[in-house]
Amino acid sequence: TNDLSFRSTAIQPVSIVLADSREIASGPEVISCLKTVHKVKVEVCPLGGCDYIVSNRLAVERKSLSDFSSGVNRSKLVERVKNLQNLFERVCLIVEKDRVKPGETSRLFQRTKYYDSTLSALTSAGVQILFSSSQEETAGLLKELMQLEQRKRTAITVPTQVTGNKQHALRFYLSIPDVSYIAALNLCHHFQSVKQMSGSSVDAIAKRAQVSRQKAEEIYRYVHHVFEAEMLQTRH
Amino acid sequence: MLNPTTPVRAGASAVPYGHAIGSEKWRGTELAHLLQGKIRLLFEDGLGLVDFHIANRTCILYISEADIVAGNAFKRRLVQFRKACNLKGIVIVEKTRLSDQYLPPVQTFVVLELGMVLLPVANKSEAAQLLINLVLERSKERTSNPFIGKKSCQFSSTNILSTVQTIPGVGKVTALQLLQHFPSIHQLANASHSQLEAVVGHGTASNVHAFFTRT
Repeated sequence: TNDLSFRSTAIQPVSIVLADSREIASGPEVISCLKTVHKVKVEVCPLGGCDYIVSNRLAVERKSLSDFSSGVNRSKLVERVKNLQNLFERVCLIVEKDRVKPGETSRLFQRTKYYDSTLSALTSAGVQILFSSSQEETAGLLKELMQLEQRKRTAITVPTQVTGNKQHALRFYLSIPDVSYIAALNLCHHFQSVKQMSGSSVDAIAKRAQVSRQKAEEIYRYVHHVFEAEMLQTRH
Repeated sequence: MLNPTTPVRAGASAVPYGHAIGSEKWRGTELAHLLQGKIRLLFEDGLGLVDFHIANRTCILYISEADIVAGNAFKRRLVQFRKACNLKGIVIVEKTRLSDQYLPPVQTFVVLELGMVLLPVANKSEAAQLLINLVLERSKERTSNPFIGKKSCQFSSTNILSTVQTIPGVGKVTALQLLQHFPSIHQLANASHSQLEAVVGHGTASNVHAFFTRT
């Protein structure tokens, strides 16, 4: 029918992945492989707390096996993952084998109790874990995750470039606690003005920012929160 | 009544903490030996597709290297499990240098297609260590899991102040002045130009008003 033909042409999934600026240095092969092999559009942005955003709800954190398996990094990992859980509905962690530099022999991986207990804790916290043997394989996994999200209709659909005055609005939205970069982009592009957004209902915010109802409620409450000068925290 | 085709054990959702219920086929094996003494391991017949039941409605499905190399039978088993119940499935996969190449497609299948958890191990002794950790982890209070935390969503006035400071031309002093008269973002966004002007002067009022209405 007409309806079907409309759907197939109108909803052409554009394959977009947002990558944090720091990934240019730490994962150059991931980014170039996504672009050249998988034909995915990679937009490099200052994402702050996360490595990749592959849909409106899914963030991907890339960790080298040596980093992940070392107990020294425990508190850093915990803080990072918890922060991602506050920002996104879904969090995926890719544990990637370290690259062997020319002339080096690959170090034998020693599985520790710390490693196993971290895996156990992450799985029961609902964090998805994927294992990768190289940056190239990580790129493939990111692409598969992105396609899966496209099928769930949560793919990134807004323009990732923000120009002119809208840049101020983006900065404003990003300053709202626990609003992710992609939610801020959606707010930017789906509301005509910050005034319109601040006068919107929870449902309207959820729909336009493409966030869960719970997250929309948080945003709504923030916008209506009454400022009290006496409550200002003094920095020590 | 259980029969050999029962995909999972009835009542599997109530495994006590610190325990694992293992399929009879594991009795006397190296893995069972390694687990004994570390966790309370019981054996039962008729677990069907599942190798071990542990607390929190979690099932362990063990895929050996031989299973992977042998072909697709293990996939059918996982699909059957997925269709049969809504228990959480953790797939432990043996991965050695020999079967390294098989892992990526297995991972895609288990994690991305079936939405289950996949954890690779190199041998039975690693599998035992992992299983012990999974059992013990699920025996602890949820509060001891560092990745499950109550989220403090107390907005502070400090947050609001810095949000207002992202408006072009508004520094800390101006932000404080504005918030004293329009104490929420919603009220500030709805202030008219003349209301703003009465507080911060013409230039800044124009900036703030333009920011809310035109961006």
